[in-house]
Amino acid sequence: MSVTVLERLERLPRRNLTVLALKGISTLVPGGWRNQTSATDLISDVLGSDDPELIQQVRARADELSRARHEGYRRALSLYDAVNRSQKAAGGLRVLANVAGALPLVKRVASLTPASETLQAVDLSLKVAAEMLAFTQVNGLPGDSFAAFSSSLNEYTDEARVRMAALVCFDALLPLGDQALHRLDGLLGKVGSRQLHQLPAYAGMASLLPGRGEAAHLGFLRRGVDHWLGWADGFVGELGLNSQRAVRALEGTLGPWHGGMEQLATFLDAFTDTYAHTGVQAVARRLVERAAAEI
Amino acid sequence: MSRNLRWGIGLLLIAGLLLGAFFFLPFRSWLPGGTVGDIATREVVNGSSFNRLFPRPQAGEDLVFTQEKRGFSQARLKRGDEVKALLSISDVVTAPASRSKFLHSSEQLQSWPLVDQGSQASALLVADRFQVKVIGQGSGLDLQQRHELLGAFDLPGLAALNPALKPASKARGREALPAGQGQPVRPKVREREPQASRIPAFLNRSKAVLEPAA
Repeated sequence: MSVTVLERLERLPRRNLTVLALKGISTLVPGGWRNQTSATDLISDVLGSDDPELIQQVRARADELSRARHEGYRRALSLYDAVNRSQKAAGGLRVLANVAGALPLVKRVASLTPASETLQAVDLSLKVAAEMLAFTQVNGLPGDSFAAFSSSLNEYTDEARVRMAALVCFDALLPLGDQALHRLDGLLGKVGSRQLHQLPAYAGMASLLPGRGEAAHLGFLRRGVDHWLGWADGFVGELGLNSQRAVRALEGTLGPWHGGMEQLATFLDAFTDTYAHTGVQAVARRLVERAAAEI
Repeated sequence: MSRNLRWGIGLLLIAGLLLGAFFFLPFRSWLPGGTVGDIATREVVNGSSFNRLFPRPQAGEDLVFTQEKRGFSQARLKRGDEVKALLSISDVVTAPASRSKFLHSSEQLQSWPLVDQGSQASALLVADRFQVKVIGQGSGLDLQQRHELLGAFDLPGLAALNPALKPASKARGREALPAGQGQPVRPKVREREPQASRIPAFLNRSKAVLEPAA
């Protein structure tokens, strides 16, 4: 039997690079972020009671719900996992390219990796698509309801806002610069369907995207990003996010960074799993909210 | 290679392919474990038909729907930016254990059994089939406020959704609660004529919403 959502929550790290990076970014978001890794704490927080018998009932119900395939909670997690794997693959490739660029014999590897910015733009659009698909899985809407998704973005509070701030900073502002959101559409426009197929990020996600074939998937990604951009623009303006502030916030927890911003983004991509980490926490919360209502 | 060995390998390959096809191809959805409590989704009332029955938010409040699944619908009641409560309606067909807690309840609200769970949750069992629950969030709600919220749901409308009340459908293996708890005590006076005419409309609607989503 595979792992339930709450077991995944309890296996999340309490303190590592991922947690530190998220702590750093959360200083930019009012409301803050707590690394919730205890199922019992989460249940008693939602239920407003620490009666062990009630908590046990909620937990049993949550496990039953997460084992049912039709309910979509585990499918939401597999989306986050797929994105995480692709992020690691892309990050690893770029770290390799950076290292290999310095060694004369393997220099050719560096020229084999795809253009970094395009790769990054596709990675971001895949993450936005994963967020939307996971949202529809957890909320029970059909798979391409862009409008419902973009209106729900306004309802994102505390933890979810930190999650989106991390997405904007780590995957847009740091690697692509302060004008990232305005350049994104242009960058995605340059991705042809053949090129998309060659990206490691896409391979893991392809089976999870609605539609058949690269062209349909590309259209889906661009529409998703389009809806997300409208909201993200306001979000960045409201919090005053930019790459300088993001770096300073990260330095607060990770220590001083002397490299460029793009290297920082590559480093974070290759060695942290912020997206899957917060994803598991978000899905677990929704699942517990339902289980508490059903016991 | 001996003839028998070749046959053996061939048969093994075929068996492997068949097993693989059964577990990994679309047949998967036919296997048990796909739905909650292994109860077929068509037996469960769809969450989209619950949405209209939630209380109307008062001035300064906001009702934001967060989940809508088979047999479940949930919304947050917000005042400004603060979440005051989680409101939900669920079909207890997939959670028989949740019905049993109402067996010993002495309180009633609009003649349906009422139970308080812990310090922030209150639940109501309507028509022996639907659980309505209010869970206080953040600074919390007191007992009085939670019971008022429960009363603000469209409870007669919810009771009318019960498929057991329709002549065509057959109630499926559910043991009845003692009299007076399974049935509302009062509503005998005003029978379900007004709702009876509405029932087909609900069903048609819920089915229409369902098909693409399922």
